Amino acid sequence: MKIESVVVPLDGTLPALAAVPVANALADTVGATLHLLHVCERPRRQAALLRSLGLSPEEMEGFVLDQRTGRPAQGILRYAGELRHPTVVICTHTGMEKPRGAIGSVAEEVILGAHCPVVLVQPERGLEPWALRRILLPHDGTPATTAAMDPAGDLAELTGAEVLVVYVAAPGEPAPTEPGSFAAPRYLDQPQHEWPAWASEFISRMSALGHPTSEVQLTLLMAAGDPGEQIVRVSREHESDLVVLAWHGSWEPRRAATMKRVIREAHCPVLLVRAARPRRGE
Amino acid sequence: MRGSRPAPATPELEATSRTPVPAAGASSADAAWRLVEEGFDLAREHEIESLFTISNGYIGVRGSLAEGSAFSAPAAFIAGIFGRRPAPDAMPERVAAPDPLRLRIAVEGEELRLDRGKALEHRRVFDLKRGLLWREWRHRTPAGRVTRIRELRLASLADRHLLLQALELEPVNYSGRIEVVAWIERPESAAPHASPLPALRPVPPDPADEGDHTPPRLALRAEGSGAVVAYAVKSELRPADGPGVAPEVETRPGRVAERWTFTARLGSRYRLTRVVAVRTSRDAEEPAEAAAAHLARTGPGDAGRIVREHVEAWRERWRAADVEVDGDPSAQRALRFACHHLIGAANPDDERVSISARLLTGGIYKGHVFWDVEIYMLPFYIHTHPPTARALLMYRYHTLPAAREKARALGWRGALYAWESTDTGEEATPRAVLAPDGVLVPIRNGEQEDHISAAVAYAVWQYWRATGDVRFLLDAGAEILLETARFWASRGEWGEDGRYHIRHVIGPDEYHEDVDDSAYTNLMAQWNLERALEAAGLLRERWPGRWRELERRLGIEPEELRAWDDVAAAMYTGFDPRTGLFEQFRGYHDLEDVDPAEYASGAGPADILLGRERTRRSKVIKQADVVLLLYLLWDRFPPEVREANFRYYEPRCAHGSSLSPSIHALVAARLGDMALAMRYFRQAAEIDLANNMGNAAGGVHAAALGGLWQAAVFGFGGLRFTDGGPELEPRLPPGWRALRFPIQWRGQNYCMDTDEARKGEEAEP
Repeated sequence: MKIESVVVPLDGTLPALAAVPVANALADTVGATLHLLHVCERPRRQAALLRSLGLSPEEMEGFVLDQRTGRPAQGILRYAGELRHPTVVICTHTGMEKPRGAIGSVAEEVILGAHCPVVLVQPERGLEPWALRRILLPHDGTPATTAAMDPAGDLAELTGAEVLVVYVAAPGEPAPTEPGSFAAPRYLDQPQHEWPAWASEFISRMSALGHPTSEVQLTLLMAAGDPGEQIVRVSREHESDLVVLAWHGSWEPRRAATMKRVIREAHCPVLLVRAARPRRGE
Repeated sequence: MRGSRPAPATPELEATSRTPVPAAGASSADAAWRLVEEGFDLAREHEIESLFTISNGYIGVRGSLAEGSAFSAPAAFIAGIFGRRPAPDAMPERVAAPDPLRLRIAVEGEELRLDRGKALEHRRVFDLKRGLLWREWRHRTPAGRVTRIRELRLASLADRHLLLQALELEPVNYSGRIEVVAWIERPESAAPHASPLPALRPVPPDPADEGDHTPPRLALRAEGSGAVVAYAVKSELRPADGPGVAPEVETRPGRVAERWTFTARLGSRYRLTRVVAVRTSRDAEEPAEAAAAHLARTGPGDAGRIVREHVEAWRERWRAADVEVDGDPSAQRALRFACHHLIGAANPDDERVSISARLLTGGIYKGHVFWDVEIYMLPFYIHTHPPTARALLMYRYHTLPAAREKARALGWRGALYAWESTDTGEEATPRAVLAPDGVLVPIRNGEQEDHISAAVAYAVWQYWRATGDVRFLLDAGAEILLETARFWASRGEWGEDGRYHIRHVIGPDEYHEDVDDSAYTNLMAQWNLERALEAAGLLRERWPGRWRELERRLGIEPEELRAWDDVAAAMYTGFDPRTGLFEQFRGYHDLEDVDPAEYASGAGPADILLGRERTRRSKVIKQADVVLLLYLLWDRFPPEVREANFRYYEPRCAHGSSLSPSIHALVAARLGDMALAMRYFRQAAEIDLANNMGNAAGGVHAAALGGLWQAAVFGFGGLRFTDGGPELEPRLPPGWRALRFPIQWRGQNYCMDTDEARKGEEAEP
């Protein structure tokens, strides 16, 4: 995943600033330029804009400040589209009246419309510094998801972060139909042999199909239950700094349930990476 | 109802190719004899390698791309070659030997690989009928040069020490420099599915040996055991119309390579033929020399003969084993796939090895042997190739000392076979495993899953009944029966109820450990005791000299035999005549009734989805347990008992083991529930052949293959043996017009045909 520009939309509210430490750390890690973006109805003078965003000129060192007019989400997407290899880092919501776990309309529209990765930050984390030491990578065993996992590997290489891959076995869920999928073992004839083999095969597939590097430390963990709930639990228990989610582009209630739950409830930022739709099996 | 007739006289052999190597792509015409993998899907490569393993019971070579890929796991597995890693409590593990069929081809410096340039055409075809793996590949390099390659490989069924690789290469749109390198090299790292396997280290050449080292050879020694594997190779590369190209041979410790460099002409064909001989320290004092000497008798010029003899050997085996399904191509293909791998898994000439859970197709299971052989695979061999069955049973005879020692160490008498065994028969079950959910799970099968002794006894008796092999009974089978019976008579204890109880066991259902009075274990133990007494009576009557000898050597007294009789008669079975049900084990009926279907998922095993502890406290069972008992001891139970127990236990089975679906298919078929039977049959058939689960990545599922054959033959075919010989009571699924298969029974060959059975029934007044 190549990142040359990190875009942080700011709407002038304090909660929106929570995205800045994450974006700043990310930009530092990958050597990208940090763009602070404000979308409003009428353009303002830069000084006034700075004040309205709660920033000083001294704090702007290394940043680019831009503003666009129009509807916020559209403005953000158009701006990102003008940049090389952008990633958008945006708060899930900034309205104070919204409860924890909400996804605001602007964030939702950006998620749906972005063709670049999007990092969602919970405003509740405030201005706390952010460092990437542990990445949580939920994986459903399909080649489509593996193909989207490069970002986690790239970031892990740059930062030395550990990558914890979590596979969630969900009761009642059918096996993936995409050819080449590798779900939890349907048959565990003798667990003393099957488990090590399954874990090794899972990781080696990911490495071969996704991010083929031996530099990254990958650990596999299996959980059972509701995928969204388990991902959130594991991220909390293992103190993840970032959850990387492959997303196949559907926002329909049933299809995006896991993603929405993770975005809403995770204690750490969530990086959404667009994945190709799975191929249909025979 | 009869559906058999004596086998016809040996039919005329079909015409075989007379060319030195069969024309590429000339595979058996019938699609039901072929597995075809079109294109290339990197994600599925481990599974394809397993499915396409060429194997002859001595060696299996995974169907890896000769040039490899980012996700290739090339390896060869040689029966009986174990090593041991330098770790405390390390168990013997079968080594992953080098794949000797590796090739690299470069055209004007550009290596031909599927991940470089463009594959204009690529397919692999596994010819199940003739045991041949084909590859057809047309490739364009980034520079635009197109090369056509056809490859054939086989592991000879006629000479199990030989492998053949034949490659035809044609520059389609260029003339230019081609380099071909063929190499055999010690694996740098473990085969897939690692925990790492024991390493192989180069056997250094004897400094005093100044002899000629052609043909090139490589010898490797397994760590921890000293077992040696050796390869020797004779290769020839020649254009269709010219003299051969001499290779440069490079050898260094752990590697031998041959390199050919030549200028290829547009449109000309160049053929590379490699014959590899494999020997080990199990069959030769100096394996490398023996491998080289093997090639003194054969080489690339004999490729046509090697192919013909190999194909003929396969024809012979198929004549005795092919199951023909009229009306269901998918089932037909699955059955042929099963039979093919079963035929290629075993060596009738080697009594010191058995078949591991993944055959010679993968490194998972470390080459360990389980009861899978006796209950799931042996019936196939008993009825299609008795010499193989005999060899497999002799393995159990040769490992009796270890079985006796295990029993003794645990405070019992007789023979308790290892749950997982290797070449020595010692217990090789790991004691714990770290599951991916972070839990360290203790493994108790090696301590408690004792029913394996009865499984061995059961197989001995089935073989004896089917073949009448007196020599085997006298030299080996009777002793196995007696010693396993002795074990059961010491294993349990008398209760206050006057019954004999066997406590602290694991039955086939491994979700429930440390149970008492497993119905399966107890009834199989009872049966074991009865057969041992029957065998004792038979020997005493017909071969008194041998009986006296066994009596003396095993220290058998008449009181002991009477005690066995008492134990068998008093065995606690858990049968409730009011319900007609066997309680799977004591207390089973008090457990929580959970419907596995609520947790049934293609995305995980039931015990993980439900939770291990809750599973243990529930009635959810892992695999056919009482249902298996119904099949194995079918005639002991009246029809209403079979029906009641199947209907009770089938819905409670989560099929967390690949051993389960086929048995459920079989029993359902016998009970006439064809929809259910077919559902389970298809589930069993898809275990390895489905393309979305990756089940076969670590090797094909041997027990499932054997179970599938049994489901067809004993389930849908309804094969039974009477005093008059084999008979059929077929219950064919909808759409199956007929089922035909050969069977050997007491020295006679029979062709069983459900169509004839039906005609015979219709003809009866």
